[in-house]
Amino acid sequence: MSLRAMVASIRVGWYREFNWTNPLTGFSLRTVGPLASVIAASTVYYVGSTNNVPPSFEPSRLAYILIGAALYAHVAAYSWVPTLAIAEGKWTYVFPQVYISPHSSLPYLTGRTLASFVTSTMTVLVSLVLSFYVLSSVFHTNIPFMVNPLSVSLLFLAMLVNIFAALGLGLLLSAYALFATKFEWALPTYVAGLLMVFSEALFPVSALGWPLSAIANVLPFTEFMRASRQAMIQGGTVYSYFSYLGLALLGGIVVLVMGFLAFRYAENRARRLGVIDKKTA
Amino acid sequence: MKLHSNPWLRTAYARLWLRAKSIYGEPLWVAVNIGFPFFTSFSLTMVYRAYGLNSFTGFAILGGVMISFWGNVLWSMASQFNWDKQVGLFEIYITSPAPISAILVGMSLGGILGTAPSAAMVAILGWVIFHPPINAVWPAVISVFALTLASLYAMGMALSSLYLAYGREADSVNEALHEPVSLISGVYFPSTGGFSPFPLAVQAGASLIPLTLGMDALRRTLFFGQGFGELYLDLELFSLAIMGVVLLFASSKALKYLENKGRRTGTISVRQR
Repeated sequence: MSLRAMVASIRVGWYREFNWTNPLTGFSLRTVGPLASVIAASTVYYVGSTNNVPPSFEPSRLAYILIGAALYAHVAAYSWVPTLAIAEGKWTYVFPQVYISPHSSLPYLTGRTLASFVTSTMTVLVSLVLSFYVLSSVFHTNIPFMVNPLSVSLLFLAMLVNIFAALGLGLLLSAYALFATKFEWALPTYVAGLLMVFSEALFPVSALGWPLSAIANVLPFTEFMRASRQAMIQGGTVYSYFSYLGLALLGGIVVLVMGFLAFRYAENRARRLGVIDKKTA
Repeated sequence: MKLHSNPWLRTAYARLWLRAKSIYGEPLWVAVNIGFPFFTSFSLTMVYRAYGLNSFTGFAILGGVMISFWGNVLWSMASQFNWDKQVGLFEIYITSPAPISAILVGMSLGGILGTAPSAAMVAILGWVIFHPPINAVWPAVISVFALTLASLYAMGMALSSLYLAYGREADSVNEALHEPVSLISGVYFPSTGGFSPFPLAVQAGASLIPLTLGMDALRRTLFFGQGFGELYLDLELFSLAIMGVVLLFASSKALKYLENKGRRTGTISVRQR
């Protein structure tokens, strides 16, 4: 895979995301949504638990939901970029042009994903910090976060490791998007929704019941959430962090290989069928 | 009055038919539209349930139902004229004798009809899976629901004229508006009144959005057994009705103003800025 092509694609990704306005406005508008959804999910727990009889509010659970909601939004924001790049690229004739230049489609999709990963990482960090301060002051509570250079570095490492799984998922969806001519843009909302339910973003997957909980337990996204919580919430241990991170890495590599193989197969088949530039059913 | 003799009714019916047909002509739309509201509603219902807060699970399911309509108002009402402008449809609307207000009303009714199946699916699935406790006064629920939709879609009409003045910003503004409005409107939890954790100033600001009053009134009638004659509920119903009329009037005035301005400056059919 050409590094130069990938770097060029990262630049294309940023131009696509911010070219319509100045970067600060673009970044602010992209942060407002995740910030609001993090606060909303946390408030759901707060309202329910403080009005429960007897009240059952626990700051550690609030921290659990806050981290999960922010990181879920992060994964959902960039894992669907490869699908978007293909669906939108077909309409704007960009993707067929990328495809006909040699060995470019995979670096292009990877570069677009990485560009979105960087943007989304900044967005999620701002959301986390702001929601931490907003919720602490509105709910008058101490959210038991562990904020020091080591914990933030460990969170960032977990986010980096999760790129494997997210890119793999993006490539799996892209394999479908090559053939789809309608509703392909809706597929990522389903996948994002499923991630919200199955990745332990807001509640423990054990609440889902068997066999759904068993499936959710082995997903790399679930392990990523667990590792991030070990890094950021008081009471986490380094041993647990690295155990979860290892599982997230292992699962991520499996998903990435699956995504890569599925995309290669789909690309060859789409070329033979002549649907790379097909826009309507 | 016969439908074919009245251009306003004919226009509204034509736009309604077109929108409804675009949904019901492709049943997959229902499956597509249900994704986001269902999974969000499911997850937040699980938050209530997983932490032992079963009596609140209905709030999240109701939120899933209403978020379908809010999404439709934003993406298929507010930004519709902007998209129509990009594909050259808006100049046809303007040059034809069809009244713009009829197009907007038809679009709203078609939007409600088109969103109803996915909203109903969220409600049915939520009911079957979670069995939320309900203590409903149905005539009041139906009235509140109808008034909420009326004022919500009137807000969509007002926004559509605002978005017409924008170019490519419209989509990004929509994305930025969706979650914050859902948050302060209390789609999944009470954001006003005794249960709300928000400061009074935020609650007062949120009450200017029809969705906030509608959600609160729906919770009162659906889960707390309140009916007509309860002071606060009657106030909310009255406010929703006033908001609907004011927003309808504002959208008509704003569209007329933008149309006249567009004619004078020659920008009415300029597609990209």
